[in-house]
Amino acid sequence: MFHKILIANDGSENAFRALEVAVDLARRYGAELHQLSVEEHLPRYAASLGEVLEAQREELDYFDNVAEKAREIAMRAGVQLECHIIAGHEVETIVRFAEENRFDLVVIGHKGHSRIWPFHMGSTAAKIADHSRTHVLIVQ
Amino acid sequence: MQDLYVGTVLAGLIFLSSVLSIELGLSAAIIEIALGVFAGNFLGVTALPWVTYIAGFGGILLTFLAGAEVDLDVMRAKFKESLLIGGISFLAPFLGAMLLCHYLLGWEWKAAQIAGVALSTTSLAVVYAVLVETGLTHTPVGKLIMASTFVTDFGTAAALALVLLEFNLNTLWFALISLIIIVLAPRIAPRLFARYGDRVIEPEIKFLFLLLVILMYFAKLGLSHAILPAFVLGLVMSRIFQKNTQLQRKLRVVGFAFITPIFFLNGGMKISLSLLWSGAALFLVLFAVKQITKIVGVYPLAKRYLPNEAMYTTLLMSTGLTMGTLSSLAGLEAGVIDQLQFSVLVAVVVASAIVPTSIAQRFFHPHHVLVELQESSRPALVEEAAEE
Repeated sequence: MFHKILIANDGSENAFRALEVAVDLARRYGAELHQLSVEEHLPRYAASLGEVLEAQREELDYFDNVAEKAREIAMRAGVQLECHIIAGHEVETIVRFAEENRFDLVVIGHKGHSRIWPFHMGSTAAKIADHSRTHVLIVQ
Repeated sequence: MQDLYVGTVLAGLIFLSSVLSIELGLSAAIIEIALGVFAGNFLGVTALPWVTYIAGFGGILLTFLAGAEVDLDVMRAKFKESLLIGGISFLAPFLGAMLLCHYLLGWEWKAAQIAGVALSTTSLAVVYAVLVETGLTHTPVGKLIMASTFVTDFGTAAALALVLLEFNLNTLWFALISLIIIVLAPRIAPRLFARYGDRVIEPEIKFLFLLLVILMYFAKLGLSHAILPAFVLGLVMSRIFQKNTQLQRKLRVVGFAFITPIFFLNGGMKISLSLLWSGAALFLVLFAVKQITKIVGVYPLAKRYLPNEAMYTTLLMSTGLTMGTLSSLAGLEAGVIDQLQFSVLVAVVVASAIVPTSIAQRFFHPHHVLVELQESSRPALVEEAAEE
């Protein structure tokens, strides 16, 4: 049923639980598995280019570690995982990436790294489920 | 006791700004300005001489960094277009705001010129963050916008230096010393860094700070401002700076930890909320002038060089923050503008960092550029999906 699965991973504990489910599904269906991490914490309205560049470097280092850890988990289950890191708004980027690359399932943890905004705006998972035309699996 | 009180409050606000910046995803600068407003209006914190000095140095350091962060290869690749777009992006609001402030609002010529400079800026940092978030940094659109921003920055630095210039004999010394530093520093620095660099006592950073402090000293003697030589010094050292990532990082760590926060807090502290409230209409007029003159100036050229992204480019070129704050602060400290004019100008500058980027992202985002980029760079991913 599923040929291309996308796991959205922000490095949180919940996201890694979702990864385990996604790896299991990919193994069962023989599906292609991709991981998307969204760099969304670049400082808005920065005073100097350096502030943005340093924040970008810190995010990339963080998500490189997330990708490495995720690949190990997938490899242990005999599944190949392709990782992507893209800057942007989390919900918009995941929904657009899934549609443009024709994934047929998006797997996401029910709660990621909550900062102040998510409390006001509702969870990322719920918004992805609302906006996506792809099947969405929210892992509790 | 006042020294210790001010120091303690500022240290607390610097720490609080960094925490709020991370939690809110906003730049530390915006929060520092806001907390500075709070401290100045409600906590009785005043700008003591040492605060003014460190803030002045912070402004010069930010200007040096703006020059050092210029990507000369991008500039060279887009030289003609960036010169035109960046040049008009500076000139149109500078002339528009200056003429309006003088002839319609009755400001003194010098004050009107400061308003022109403060509203002429484009914020490279604000623009770059938006380009990264939209994935446009490496596209022709992104490169042209960034190269144009460098040109606007240069225009702002040059204009501010000219506006604040009051010629005396020492001005010649200032010009001579600036020239010597700009010519010799890129030649001396690599040897100096090779011999003394990469140590915990940081002779490299101290050398750069020394150069900037010398520029500030002679600028003061020469009744001028160090912004232009600091920007040009950054520009001539940009290749050394960009090759040495450790130096970049260390300079940012030292600067962002204590020096530049004092600059933005000091800027915020000098904003009077009561005066700003009384100047609400002036705020709207000046904000409209900045946006309209940017659109009138930049849009036709953007339409010519980037027909599908013209309004997006124009809106990003309408942003401002650091150079606008710096220009307003320099005008206030030189006694050219009063506190009402300063409060309104900084408020307009901050608003121009937020409003145009939000509109550009919401209504004019060039999604098609990304789709084209994605199709050309990752065909396998799309093709595989199509076969299914």
